[in-house]
Amino acid sequence: MDRNRAKGITFTKEPYIEDAGPRIVKSMKFSSLSDSEIGKLAEVQVFKGSYYDHFKKPIPGGLLDPRMGPANKELICATCGGDFAHCPGHFGYLTLALPIFNIGFLGTIVEILKSICKCCARILLNEDIRKDRLKKMRRPRIDALAKAELAKKVVEACSKVSMCSRCGYKNGSVKKLVGSLKITHDRSKCNDSSIEEFQTALSHARESRLTSAVDTHILNPFQALSLFKRMLDEDCELLYLAERPEKLIITNIAVPPLAMRPSVIMDGSQSNENDVTERLKQIVQANAHVRQELEEIASLRSLDGWETLQFEAAQFINSEVRGIPYHQQREKTMAGLVQRLKGKQGRFRGNLSGKRVEFTGRTVISPDPNLKITEVAIPMLMARILSYPERVSHHNIEKLRQCIRNGPDKYPGARQYRDASGSTWTLRVPHRKRFADQLKFGDIVDRHLEDGDIILFNRQPSLHRMSIMCHRARIMPWRTLRFNESVCNPYNADFDGDEMNLHVPQTEEARTEAILLMGVQNNLCTPKNGEILVASTQDFLTSSYLITRKDTFYDRSTFSLICSYMGDGMDLVDLPTPAIIKPVELWSGKQLFSILLRPNANVRVYVNLTVKEKIYSTKLDDKKREMKTMCPSDGFVYFRNSELISGQLGKVTLGNGNKDGLFSVLLRDYKPHAAAACMNRVAKLSARWIGNHGFSIGIDDVQPKEVLIEQKDKTISDNYKKCDDFIAAFNKGKLELKAGCDAAQTLETLITGVLNGIRDTAGKVCMQTLHWRNSPLIMSQCGSKGSPINISQMVACVGQQSVGGRRAPNGFVDRSLPHFPRKAKTPAAKGFVAESFYSGLSATEFFFHTMGGREGLVDTAVKTADTGYMSRRLMKCLEDLFLQYDYTVRNAAGGIVQFCYGDDGMDPAGMEGKDGKPLNFDRLFLRSQAICPSDEDDDILSPSDVHEVVQRKLSEVGMCKLVKQEASADDSSAGFVNSLQSFVKGKIESTEPSTKEDSEKLKKFIQRISGITRRQLEVFLDICLSRYHSKKIEAGTPIGAIGAHSIGEPGTQMTLKTFHFAGVASMNVTLGVPRIKEIINGSKKISTPIITAILETDNNPNTARIVKGRIEKTNLGQVAKSIKVVITSRSASIVISLDMERIRDAHLHVDANIVKESILHTPKLKLKQDNVKILDIKKLRIVPPDGDRSKIQFQLNHLKNLLPSVVVKGIKTAERVVISKEEDKEAKTEKFKLLVEGTGLLDVMGIEGVDGLNTLSNHIDEVSESLGIEAARRTIIEEIKVVMGSHGMSIDIRHMMLLADVMTVMGRVLGITRFGIQKMGKSVLMLASFERTSDHLFNAAVHGTEDLIEGVSERVIMGIPIQIGTGMIKVKQRLSPPELLQGTPPILSYV
Amino acid sequence: MVDVLFDDIFRVEKLNPDDKKYFDKVTRIEARSERFDMFMHLDINSEVYPLKVGQKFALLLVPTLNLDGTPDTGYYIGGNRHSLADNFEYVMHGKLYKITEDSTRENVEVLISFGGLLMMMKGDPSHCNKFELDQKLYLLMRKV
Repeated sequence: MDRNRAKGITFTKEPYIEDAGPRIVKSMKFSSLSDSEIGKLAEVQVFKGSYYDHFKKPIPGGLLDPRMGPANKELICATCGGDFAHCPGHFGYLTLALPIFNIGFLGTIVEILKSICKCCARILLNEDIRKDRLKKMRRPRIDALAKAELAKKVVEACSKVSMCSRCGYKNGSVKKLVGSLKITHDRSKCNDSSIEEFQTALSHARESRLTSAVDTHILNPFQALSLFKRMLDEDCELLYLAERPEKLIITNIAVPPLAMRPSVIMDGSQSNENDVTERLKQIVQANAHVRQELEEIASLRSLDGWETLQFEAAQFINSEVRGIPYHQQREKTMAGLVQRLKGKQGRFRGNLSGKRVEFTGRTVISPDPNLKITEVAIPMLMARILSYPERVSHHNIEKLRQCIRNGPDKYPGARQYRDASGSTWTLRVPHRKRFADQLKFGDIVDRHLEDGDIILFNRQPSLHRMSIMCHRARIMPWRTLRFNESVCNPYNADFDGDEMNLHVPQTEEARTEAILLMGVQNNLCTPKNGEILVASTQDFLTSSYLITRKDTFYDRSTFSLICSYMGDGMDLVDLPTPAIIKPVELWSGKQLFSILLRPNANVRVYVNLTVKEKIYSTKLDDKKREMKTMCPSDGFVYFRNSELISGQLGKVTLGNGNKDGLFSVLLRDYKPHAAAACMNRVAKLSARWIGNHGFSIGIDDVQPKEVLIEQKDKTISDNYKKCDDFIAAFNKGKLELKAGCDAAQTLETLITGVLNGIRDTAGKVCMQTLHWRNSPLIMSQCGSKGSPINISQMVACVGQQSVGGRRAPNGFVDRSLPHFPRKAKTPAAKGFVAESFYSGLSATEFFFHTMGGREGLVDTAVKTADTGYMSRRLMKCLEDLFLQYDYTVRNAAGGIVQFCYGDDGMDPAGMEGKDGKPLNFDRLFLRSQAICPSDEDDDILSPSDVHEVVQRKLSEVGMCKLVKQEASADDSSAGFVNSLQSFVKGKIESTEPSTKEDSEKLKKFIQRISGITRRQLEVFLDICLSRYHSKKIEAGTPIGAIGAHSIGEPGTQMTLKTFHFAGVASMNVTLGVPRIKEIINGSKKISTPIITAILETDNNPNTARIVKGRIEKTNLGQVAKSIKVVITSRSASIVISLDMERIRDAHLHVDANIVKESILHTPKLKLKQDNVKILDIKKLRIVPPDGDRSKIQFQLNHLKNLLPSVVVKGIKTAERVVISKEEDKEAKTEKFKLLVEGTGLLDVMGIEGVDGLNTLSNHIDEVSESLGIEAARRTIIEEIKVVMGSHGMSIDIRHMMLLADVMTVMGRVLGITRFGIQKMGKSVLMLASFERTSDHLFNAAVHGTEDLIEGVSERVIMGIPIQIGTGMIKVKQRLSPPELLQGTPPILSYV
Repeated sequence: MVDVLFDDIFRVEKLNPDDKKYFDKVTRIEARSERFDMFMHLDINSEVYPLKVGQKFALLLVPTLNLDGTPDTGYYIGGNRHSLADNFEYVMHGKLYKITEDSTRENVEVLISFGGLLMMMKGDPSHCNKFELDQKLYLLMRKV
């Protein structure tokens, strides 16, 4: 850049040009080298296959020639003079006696040979088509993908052409010979006279062994090379070859530099050579052999050596190449060049995309509730190793002096010291005191870690972004990394021996970015759905639950002591008035929590929330209203202005995975800091309190009471009796069948239902009989650990064991275990465990229990691998999607994926309401009412006033336009404004005073207690509007990565349940990880395709049955009374008579005409119009087509066998149709819809009686084909939602929308697989770092692809900051060019 | 003089109206007043102040315990000063957190929380005129 300006001046010496800043790699072009280029590039010709001479010196011209670099540490490079550590290495070359195919390009070579004439080397297209294709290929806007597609079509077209339009040569088909590295040219199919001539000539020859394969001959590399050399450049362009095709064939091998294949000298005289070197040795030897064979001019001898050379060269490039004969393979597998690149440990994934770093540590973790949630305790041992380069300034010079004096081994010390000039001294020297004295401002000291340093903390598997977060260091004694248990959740850590990693950012920029973006405080919420993730767990919940029990009271001393627990006794606490003043002063536990939230009057935190805990009784009071705060079990938590009014706190209030919990409210209404401080206080209080109180489990906790034993025995015997009755009915065949089930299935569902009932009732009784002090009960009620099922398994009854979703299978003949009689279906014989863990399992029960247990283990083992791969694919596909400043979602290349993220541009991490709504109006309204108490002078608003206030507030923030034009679709805020307005409207209606003529005073009173004041409404609207705007997603957010995390991470949690009933018991739908995989892969064939057909009249079971009959596949066999062969003396035929009664019963409307039509439409039968004759409405005669009279018997039988399977009615692809009944309990109405198992959406939609507009399918590919790409997008979103919902996981819809958009943005459904991603227009480096590394690289070389290094993977590989988030912004500065001093022109000048 | 918010005599009709004892030390009593015919649910600490069905007690709700009626400062000062509580056996302090009308809109419900011990009083609105939301108040009880 500066050179242009300096042009006018000429210098005698190279001028000093100021550093223009670091240069970055802008693009990367892939190409291949020709033999001459290889020769020019190389420093030496290698021709000897030997390494060292007797004096351990590398032999010149050998594979370790010193001109290619030093082979080991002792040697020096002969080219550049560098030693082993500094010489970058230099190439050599190896000339081959005969050309060979480059194995990586073999596929391309075959394709080229397919499309050119093997005589004149021109493309096998006639001139017009060729020109047309060339024009298409040269279109300026065409992208690489389209070009590749075009070239593929050209090859396809060419391989159909046999006659060359230019020279008239007849070309055969070119194929790669399977199981070898040869290409054959098969001309047997082209009737060329020359071949016949040739054959006849050969038949006269004496040697007969050559005759066998004259028409198929092998195209050897030499022939291919000569053909390629004669090819025209235009033809190359047509085939999307960037360069001359002869480069695809090797004549010179580039011998890689020694730096990449060092030679290791063993102690003896032996040296250990790299695999690549050994491969090259084989090549050199094979080459020498070929040369020798050539010199011997054995004209008739086939060149065996040539083949060996080809194999060796192929294995040098790719040692796993197929087609190497067994005897050519070595017993020791030596890695080829491709093996170095590919795979998890390969160069791309192992070194380029993931780099090893310094300043890290890893040890076992342990809990410490006394730490803040933002802190991590680092053992002193570790703190002495890790360091941070701190620049000396006025503020820290004394501290750093002391650090230097302490040296590297004493704790607050330093390891290294750099002065301004850049020279570095280690401090492991005795005279470091002198350094301390010399210390100047601006020097840099690598000091030990100290309290407050910024640390990145991580636990594998890093499934989402909260798996690595930024903490502050606390240097502590002992040997483990410690942190607050509240932070276990995001890391998914426990303390059973888990280890975690930490990293120390080394620059101030990195630290700032880390603490602001990755700090624990700023990641309390998961972007998956906006729920809080960092929250109290386990013991914290238990003790909070016990503290806030209604009957915990403390006297003054105890209460004050506990108050001092939560703040280490350092906080100022206003002692509240005791709840009970007389007869004794007693403070309640709930008052403790009020203090915890607001210790003194100066803390301005006013929490307002209502939460229903697990123990909240759903009973209604005498007026059929919910009990709310008056719940007898105290399950309704109500905080009013930071005072705990009622409720016992449990997981719903304090735990994770909730949007309305205490910490969520603190986080949203105040700052993350308030929530974090509160969590710290809860942790300290709980840990200390429970340490004094004690909490433990003993055997008496699981002892069942007498009542329970009685009840359990009774329910078990009752239900066993029921089961026996069912079995008896089944054996007699009198079981009433369920819809879509056979007798055995019905029995199973019935018995399973009964047996599951046993455990439930036993569990219910068990939970009722337990004392409230029972520890497992407390834990399950407050949600800290365990469920009622776990308790009842310990106390009452373990319940039914299942394997693969069924009862225990038969491992023996007709029985599960030999302890039972054959064909036993009793509960005990099929894995029902009636005992509890306390009473102990019998031998058979234990066996069944282990069966169930093993399934769980196997499933988790399999699932982790599956979901891991799925996450990786998702991540690779979505990694470069991010949000631009114009709210569009684009990929790195700038292609738009969404015009507005999630249709409203909201940040999923900030969503407060249910279903991804930005705000929870109810809670905010409650809050604004509570924080603005209604005074006497404040007026109560009438409905019209309310409306006016709302309009005014909206117009203030510039949303009035939206108000007037109801929901102008283009603005994303319209939905929000509408929902706000309707909420306010609903509020007014509910509080409108009754029209009854009450006394004026009473009216006023009622208004006072339920009206809205102006101030309250204004505050409410202000909060809503300002908060809505703050919830817009920030530009630069890596939404793609977040989306991939949000979908991938829940996958790991999906347990076992892989099947689910779609409304009807008999209809299974694949769910869980397998289904997610199907959706994401964009599978063409899914395991359970189901079409949900909505009926036009959906309240009548009869119409449903009629429509079912229309859809369901009905065979001729099902409606025919008989299909008989009738042979008379004159003719032989088949007569079909229909069972009209049956047809009428099933509402089928089938008669002989329809049967005839359907028979004619069955191509397998090969029957014509006149073969089928209608005798009457229910009879047909089929005469076999005239043929051989002797075969007529066979023909008739053949037809008779085929005819029953002819589909006469319904849709062929619809395997089964089940009517699903939905009962609306309130309206007492039934709704029917049809579930069609199978495909054929279009056909089902067209059926009369089906509401085609509302009919859905779960088969994405089919939907895309029949309804279009937008429908496919919707289906993807819905299907993912269904799967996630069935596992109780809520994921923000925006993530699923993004995924669906990425899958459909190219206009067709692309799966997130190697095939799909390839078609999404990703760059070569990204694809290479994903899968099939070598294929992509070789292709890129053939096509001459240019990679612009835009995406995330590419930039990581090149070591450049990625263009996402903070890397998106570039500062552009306009500087006036510096004045250059004009010197006198020199006497001599150069250009 | 102290501004009395509510004063009446109640009769305990039922203990634990749900027929199940949820808590060891706390009992919910159902009571009905004689004068105003108010219906009440009240949680009391039965360990220090047990009540039985059929017992009658006087109940007083006042905003302050000071005999001269000066309002509370908001800060708790313990000690054995002379106060209104001297004449009563059981005294609690709490906050009124909700006043609602009944679904029929004839009765008014007043809800008070004494540090988690709840009180729900239902009756004619005319007797609840003095109550205000977020009012701090004392409950004084004496058996009669």
